Amino acid sequence: MITISPIERILRGIAITLVILFFMFPIFWIFLMSFQTNETILRVPPSIVFEPTMSNYSALITGKLETNAGLLEFEFMRNLWNSFFLSVSSVAVGLLLGVPAAYAFARLKFRGSEDIAFTLLSFRFAPPLLVLLPLTIYFQQIGLANTYVGLIWVYQLIVLPLILWIVRGYFEDIPADVEHAYRIAGHSWAATFRKIALPLAGPGIAAAGLLAFIFAWNNFIFALVLASADKQPVTVGALAFVTASGIQYGQIAAAIVLSITPTLLLALYAQRYLVEGLSLGAVKG
Amino acid sequence: MRPPVLELIDVDKVYGFGRPNAVRAVEDLSLTVNEGEIVALLGSSGCGKTSTLRMVAGFEGVTKGKIKIAGREIQHLPPAKRGVAMAFEGYSLYPPLTVRENIAFALKSQRISPDEAARRVAEIAELMEISDVLERYPASISGGQQQRASLARALVRDADLHLLDEPMGQLEPQLRALLRGRIKHFIHERRLTAILVTHDQTEANALADRIAVMEEGILQQYDTPAKLKDRPANLFTGTFIGEPPMNVFPARVSSSERETVFDLGSGVSLKYPAAIFPPDLRSRLSQESDVCLGIRPHAVRLVDGGLPVTVSVVQWLGDQTHIAAQFASRTLVSVIHDRARFAPGNTASIAISAEDLHIFDADTGVAIGHGKVAA
Amino acid sequence: MNGIVLENLSKSYKSETVLDGVSLTVPEGRMLVLFGPSGAGKTVLLRCIAGAVDPDAGKVVLGGVDVTGFEPEDRGVGMAFQNFALFPHMTAEENIASPLKARRSTKTIVRQGVDAVARLLKIDHVLSHPPKALSNGQKQRTSLARALVAQPHYLLLDDPLRNVDAKLRYEMRLELPRLLADQGATVIYVTQDYKEAMAFGDQIAVLDGGRIVQAGTPEDIYLRPATIGISELFGDPTINLLDVVPERDERGIYITLSDQRIPLGDGYDAAVGKPCTLGLRPEALAFTDLETGIPVVIEAETPFNEKTVTLALTKRGREVLVSRPAGMPGPAEGESAFVSVNWRALLLFDRQNGQRIVPEGESGRTEAAA
Repeated sequence: MITISPIERILRGIAITLVILFFMFPIFWIFLMSFQTNETILRVPPSIVFEPTMSNYSALITGKLETNAGLLEFEFMRNLWNSFFLSVSSVAVGLLLGVPAAYAFARLKFRGSEDIAFTLLSFRFAPPLLVLLPLTIYFQQIGLANTYVGLIWVYQLIVLPLILWIVRGYFEDIPADVEHAYRIAGHSWAATFRKIALPLAGPGIAAAGLLAFIFAWNNFIFALVLASADKQPVTVGALAFVTASGIQYGQIAAAIVLSITPTLLLALYAQRYLVEGLSLGAVKG
Repeated sequence: MRPPVLELIDVDKVYGFGRPNAVRAVEDLSLTVNEGEIVALLGSSGCGKTSTLRMVAGFEGVTKGKIKIAGREIQHLPPAKRGVAMAFEGYSLYPPLTVRENIAFALKSQRISPDEAARRVAEIAELMEISDVLERYPASISGGQQQRASLARALVRDADLHLLDEPMGQLEPQLRALLRGRIKHFIHERRLTAILVTHDQTEANALADRIAVMEEGILQQYDTPAKLKDRPANLFTGTFIGEPPMNVFPARVSSSERETVFDLGSGVSLKYPAAIFPPDLRSRLSQESDVCLGIRPHAVRLVDGGLPVTVSVVQWLGDQTHIAAQFASRTLVSVIHDRARFAPGNTASIAISAEDLHIFDADTGVAIGHGKVAA
Repeated sequence: MNGIVLENLSKSYKSETVLDGVSLTVPEGRMLVLFGPSGAGKTVLLRCIAGAVDPDAGKVVLGGVDVTGFEPEDRGVGMAFQNFALFPHMTAEENIASPLKARRSTKTIVRQGVDAVARLLKIDHVLSHPPKALSNGQKQRTSLARALVAQPHYLLLDDPLRNVDAKLRYEMRLELPRLLADQGATVIYVTQDYKEAMAFGDQIAVLDGGRIVQAGTPEDIYLRPATIGISELFGDPTINLLDVVPERDERGIYITLSDQRIPLGDGYDAAVGKPCTLGLRPEALAFTDLETGIPVVIEAETPFNEKTVTLALTKRGREVLVSRPAGMPGPAEGESAFVSVNWRALLLFDRQNGQRIVPEGESGRTEAAA
């Protein structure tokens, strides 16, 4: 009989706890920090006993912070909205362009198709700074610097290759005969794309979209260079708390909590789709 | 007396034991394989045959029960310490080695002189018709050649037990019959003991001395090919073994002093003098009213003056002809070993001898009698 | 001309030639079985006809219309696939209905069409199931129903029984030819099971290495194979092939086999002195008590279901397979025995080019030998 001895069970429990502690501790600590003032945070030795305060969060929401050096104004809520708007729009544009392209790369083996696909992927390998400097100059000249359109365009560098390569894999996993069968049944290729390819790659497209959203949300460098305060996402906006008179750890922690919450929720929600998407192989045979 | 080469004693295999979605792959399996015997585990996919083989090889734990090789319990030992050689369904040849090195690799651990090893490799390569590809790498030869190389690698080893997983599935059809004969000769001549797992009954019949028919994790019957064909233990093995499949007719049986009558419905009945059946079978039959009659296609004889049937399909396959006919509102298949003189729509007449009847319980499917003997 | 006509179809992938100038004609309303070993190009050929693959050269003519450049949906063919190719996100009913819906049929017509074909193929009870809830047999019937439902004039069946279990495959082997004939369509049926080919075909075309190597009736191909390769593809167990050189003396043309003089009969003048391969089907050999037979030693007995096949070794070390109906007694492993040969069923091939040497005035004789 296969049985688990009590010792084994306890050891397993300890091991799992350790792993969870290791990975979750930073998030947990930041969560605690976000309810503390700078004084309690910088206490030596640190302690998890403190009087929780909502002042960090209220400061973030009102955009006003009293410090020793005077009143600090910032636009965190605006940043949060920017993050949301930029990420959603980029992913939407990315999907609109990337999914049909992925289908073309998966199904039509035209001359140079592999090279083009690889070139698109290679955008992911290039150091962003390399692209950024010339891009900044161009953008300033054609008036795209510090515009949403410009940012969304640049974000495609992050989003598009990701979507293209993930979704292409899902399309390739759909047996070609299933699509042939639908066409032979009398449907056009456009109908076949809509009624067969899209629904069957649906979980994969959702997974790619969510992943792309998280990448777009977490982007820092493009927005730092190309956007000024009113277009900046949270990743850049949090820099405002590093002030000449000191670092506002409490606000940074609260800002981090607020900014990772959407992605965290999305990731948890997306898990389902990722698993479902990965088991798409069941279509075969 | 020496213990049998392999003994499985009340073996259970449950995947996900203790969980609600646990799957019982093998149930209460007991099986003995004697020295020099070729045994086939035969069944459709998911019947538990591969799980059984993997438990013997040591790739899969045993949920319950014992496995003994040469009298020694081995279910706790790692695969390498069990003294078994295995040919995998997916070939599993080492890609960086040539075919020759792949085959010779199995001999390295056996401390055989290089000359002897080379001789053995040459011999098995000739048997498997791969002498000409010995210096090639697995990736550059065909699937059939890879499978033959994988078989050669397993058979060249000295081992208490050779395990062959679907050993001939990818073989070129032109070579299959010849290689079956050669492999069987090779194994018997060296008194090797082998277990092969297959879903192909032709392969099992051709190679094995005994066949274990499995279905849903349960051993249905373990017998020689001839016995499986002539005396199937139940309706499952009866219809599973045999190509074309056995004809099955539900029948109502009535016996009198003089006559035993199987009423097949639609006004058709098979009548036999009661004295043909032995007393024990007769008393069994007198207790039953509904049975299933199984008749092998080869036992349906086309005769003059028999029962009339309407021919619906005639298919000539070169060395035999298959004739399907309407009989008692069902399809009856007959096979003859020459060309048929019938065309669809013709009326033919058939006879079925009492010794060719397989009688099964209509509810449980358990065999009641085979021809003139009770089961 | 009506029906399906293929002219010189060729297709290569990179450097590999898959189809090498295939020409075929299937008359209106008839069925052609396209037989070939795996990798022969059968699947690509069917896809060229269906429009899923574009040939590099050649023409596909359906019912007199050259459809070579046409999109698949404009060719009016029905097709069933080896792997069924069912739409996994639709029910069996939606799968079957899709060709009718593509033709913008009314709901009633779709309903009636699906019901009729589902009843014909005995799947009316599983129509609401998705493909993954169907057994392989039901999947196969669903895919067949989808091919048939719109009553296409041209039906392409790509080894549809391949992935079905043996019992069902046999049942379908009996019933499918009739069912297809009743449809009235022009059919190309692809298989790599020679028994299926012989059971189905009025006409069989043998595809090997991207070429049609022989076309004819089952009799033509089994009894008069054009090449050694074809003779090996038809028959299980495989035909015995022995190297011989025919000679001539005052009594006629003969070959020598195990020190015995075997007369070849008339018509083989062309073969004299040439290295040849003698083809003898296992069922043309039988064990005999007569010592005039060829002496052999039994290596192994491998029973098939309906016949027993024995691997025997002649004195010269040649291996021969002997087949006899199951139940007929024969010698046991290790024993010596004699084999008699039905010489009328022999086939003689030119060893150099693999072509069969056709004896002059052949036809009647080999037919009788069967």
